[in-house]
Amino acid sequence: MAALTPDTVDIIDPDLYVRRGYPHDEWAVLRREAPIYRYERANTDPFWAITRHADIVNVSRQPELFHSIQRLFVTINEEGSPAPDEAILRQLLNMNPPEHGAYRAIVNRRFTPRGVQGLREQIDRITAEVLDGIVDRTECDFVTEVAARLPLAVIAEMFGIPRADWAMMFRLSNMMIGPGDAEYAGDETILETLQRARMEFFQYFSQLCEDRRQNPRDDLASVLANGLVNGAPLPIFELMSYFALLIIAGNETTRNATSGGLQAFIENPAQWARLKGDPSMAAGAAEEIVRWTSPVIQFTRKATADTNLCGVPIRAGDELALFYPSANRDEAVFDRPGVFDIGRNPNRHIAYGIGEHFCLGANLARLELQVMFRQLAERLESVESAGPLHRMRSNFVGGIKHMPIRYRMRPRA
Amino acid sequence: MKVVVDHNLCEGNGRCAEVAPEVFELRDDDRSHVLADAPAPGSRPRIDLAVSLCPRQAIRLIAE
Ligand code: HEM
Ligand code: SF4
Repeated sequence: MAALTPDTVDIIDPDLYVRRGYPHDEWAVLRREAPIYRYERANTDPFWAITRHADIVNVSRQPELFHSIQRLFVTINEEGSPAPDEAILRQLLNMNPPEHGAYRAIVNRRFTPRGVQGLREQIDRITAEVLDGIVDRTECDFVTEVAARLPLAVIAEMFGIPRADWAMMFRLSNMMIGPGDAEYAGDETILETLQRARMEFFQYFSQLCEDRRQNPRDDLASVLANGLVNGAPLPIFELMSYFALLIIAGNETTRNATSGGLQAFIENPAQWARLKGDPSMAAGAAEEIVRWTSPVIQFTRKATADTNLCGVPIRAGDELALFYPSANRDEAVFDRPGVFDIGRNPNRHIAYGIGEHFCLGANLARLELQVMFRQLAERLESVESAGPLHRMRSNFVGGIKHMPIRYRMRPRA
Repeated sequence: MKVVVDHNLCEGNGRCAEVAPEVFELRDDDRSHVLADAPAPGSRPRIDLAVSLCPRQAIRLIAE
């Protein structure tokens, strides 16, 4: 194979993410040779690929100069893909200061360390139930039967959504985040899939809001339905987008960290033995898993004025894509970045982003991953791969769709 | 130098307390509280890190 150069790497074709997973070699070339790289190809609109840790931090910490925008991620121009403005409605991820902070403040208290500690018991219980679901067998699809279940159940429980509706939410969420993936989309185009999913969402959640306005409870749906910005309730479309964001953002990401995390342990038996020997290492393991898997591949920003990064001139209106998994393997920040080490300390990964838009759900995701890997370490007597991984067709949230494993699991203690 | 957290901005995500627990403490009001008015010089790098991590830009350093 010819040596990679910045002008020959491909870091956005979604089909490549299916075939080879994350393009770590390609990102390494960009970090080394062109960290602020003008990515111009026939199949996409031009953008700046930002691949170093320091530069992503720098951009993220200037939310006025680098705005978050409607188009959350850069991708190839595909037939039937939605025009940028339609991809997602107004919500936290594409808002900017000063209104962004006021919107975030509506739900924020449910996601603080104290807020999520209150969920620990429920998370413990749901995790144990999920693992009970596979205890009588020796083979399963770890993604659909385990990893996918916990984050969805937890956010559904936080909202106060009845169990009978959880499966529907799982399906809609897949359709909304992976509309370009045939398994979720069926025969429809990307836009059709998105529109259908959105309509079903709207129907369900506008009813839920109506109910929580009449009968407020101690749940996240009530907080949102009755939330105020500058003294006024949110317009209905913004409210719906808020619900959609919280469900989607907390679902695929944590799922993919969970499945990618177990995969990392299967490939690194010494680390698995370490965790099994001392399950209290689960907190550090959860951080390293998130660094290692970096489930969010990129978010975009748009320059609001002419500026420069590391001396490279950036024009007002230029779009930038911040590649978090690349930052999390940056040689300048991490000792042996290509090694999965659950004892890594410090671990300054930015898989949850940094600055103004720092992941609202980070404390929740951490707790879910800690509980899951602690219980897996306690209950899994053996685990190995039982077939090839199937990756999601997305250059935005990296995902494993199916991951067959063979294992022996102990019943609950 | 004095460290101040603006409680109108602080959203209590705890990033500051993660990196400089000797200086910041999250309390039951979901706000970060400064433990030492004049922190030890050795804490300075961790305080700077906290400032740079804070999503709400709620931490200010005031020169005496
Ligand atoms: C391992 C799991 C997760 C990862 C890797 C992750 C990653 C990220 C990243 C990188 C951002 C920054 C976006 C930007 O800078 O533009 C973000 C924002 C966000 N995340 Fe997460 N996330 C995870 C789990 C969750 C969970 C469980 C929730 C729960 C609801 C959540 C809710 C959000 C929300 C609402 C935002 C938008 C915040 C804003 O724009 O102010 N995430 N996440
Ligand atoms: S990092 Fe900022 S917003 Fe978060 S708890 Fe500390 S002061 Fe508050």
